[in-house]
Amino acid sequence: MSDTSLRGKVAVIGIGLSAVGKVPGRSPLSLAAEAAANALADAGVAKSEVDGVLSSHAFASPFHRFSVAFSEYFGIRPTFSNTLQVSGATAATMFSIGAAAIHGGLANVVLLVAADSLMTGLTPDLALRSLTESRDQQYEMPFGIPVANTFAMTAHRHMREFGTTPEQLAEVAVVHSRHAARTPGAQQSTPITTADVLNSPMVTTPYHKLDCSLISDGGAAFVLTSAEHAKALGISSPIYVLGCGECYTHEHIFLMPSLTTTGAVESSRRAYAMAGYQPSDMDVAGIYDCFTGTVVMMLEDLGFCRKGEGGPFVADGQMSYGGQIPSNTHGGLLSFAHSGMPGALFHFHEVIAQLRGQCGERQVENAALGLVHSLGAGFATNATTVLGTEGTL
Amino acid sequence: MASEDSVRKPLPAPDADTVTFWHGLRHGKLLLQHCRRCRNVQYYQQATCRECGSDDLEHRPATGRGKVHSFSVVYRAPGPAFKEDVPYAVLLVELAEGPRMISTLTGSDPEDVTFDMEVELAFDQVSDDITLPRFRKA
Repeated sequence: MSDTSLRGKVAVIGIGLSAVGKVPGRSPLSLAAEAAANALADAGVAKSEVDGVLSSHAFASPFHRFSVAFSEYFGIRPTFSNTLQVSGATAATMFSIGAAAIHGGLANVVLLVAADSLMTGLTPDLALRSLTESRDQQYEMPFGIPVANTFAMTAHRHMREFGTTPEQLAEVAVVHSRHAARTPGAQQSTPITTADVLNSPMVTTPYHKLDCSLISDGGAAFVLTSAEHAKALGISSPIYVLGCGECYTHEHIFLMPSLTTTGAVESSRRAYAMAGYQPSDMDVAGIYDCFTGTVVMMLEDLGFCRKGEGGPFVADGQMSYGGQIPSNTHGGLLSFAHSGMPGALFHFHEVIAQLRGQCGERQVENAALGLVHSLGAGFATNATTVLGTEGTL
Repeated sequence: MASEDSVRKPLPAPDADTVTFWHGLRHGKLLLQHCRRCRNVQYYQQATCRECGSDDLEHRPATGRGKVHSFSVVYRAPGPAFKEDVPYAVLLVELAEGPRMISTLTGSDPEDVTFDMEVELAFDQVSDDITLPRFRKA
């Protein structure tokens, strides 16, 4: 590994959530500050120690420079800050850019923080519009194509090419609801059945309402610092950033090179290569689950099963406890919560908690290596992070 | 109550890159850009070839024939402007010339769309300046 590799150079020393789910009357800044305070308390680090802040845009907030507005609200004056925007993939890029900033000497203690109130801070129509108006106004939007539709067309083509069935897609939602039933505070905590999914109203074929993720309020925050500083602070179970990778293949859905093989292949290949591990080494995963079919395709592209076999893999129980790769053990965007760009930060929170052994009845035994994959904009953006305990360095 | 702005469908606002494209549609042609240097055919329009960077691009009318590479029938509209249109079939059409484009089906039941279905261009004039390229079953 070269000196410039980020492998093991930076540790996550604090994690925190705000209230999550339906949280009326709270601004994204208020939720972000709650999550940040929790993450700093978890790390045992004072806010005055924070010299870097990375965030993402919040639809329900007027502040385009969310990280700057957050710092004022939270009462800190960082010397490194940015508000990142690569849609759903932003979460994993916060970890890679935060780690790179620390390794490169731009900051010592970086707070990653994001929050949004998509459920109560926006009307449903405004929430939908906020997602559709980011697409091309000349070549896509005149035809009434919501972002759900771009993901739907990829899943539909996957069904055509590989025989993936509506029942297999529904099983993804079923597994997530079962996981969420054991997660305190999960928004959709009642287990559902395949029939529930297939009988829910059609949104955009092949996706029924229960194939789609939730709309929620909430935020999450993380504290990152160098491996050396984590040691000096006496952090009991630092979790290390072992590998990072990104890939951007297109903007318009009609220029996606393949509808069924995504940039996640390359982003995860790079993350595994930096970490020095393979898919089969992972003990637990957080996989961006904006829709059920997204998970099926990602299980393939992240290397957990062969291309085209994602549907049977899920139906065979391989993404849950006792299977090859227990994934989204908190319930994911489908059943825990999805507050927009912070959504994938909940996956990070869960995977890091799993690696620390803090998940109680959800705990995956001896989890030491974890992967989080976040993506967005109809698979236009993909970013993967591999995390590990001290023993995996 | 939805505001007037939110019930209006988004209409393309042509710019320097795309004015020729929208002018073509108004006159019954779906123009594709053919690169004279590397022979790449591209949709959408811009000043240079996305493959080789050449600005030696020629606009040529497409045959208008294609097939459905993928599709999704929308039952929940993306905002008030499309509420009266549901269900409608969003198509990812692969044109005979190679490029793919997003459009919608016109002239037949959206629930009858199939993969690889042959489609042909249909012009839908939606304002004085804008004609949208839609597709009907061939």
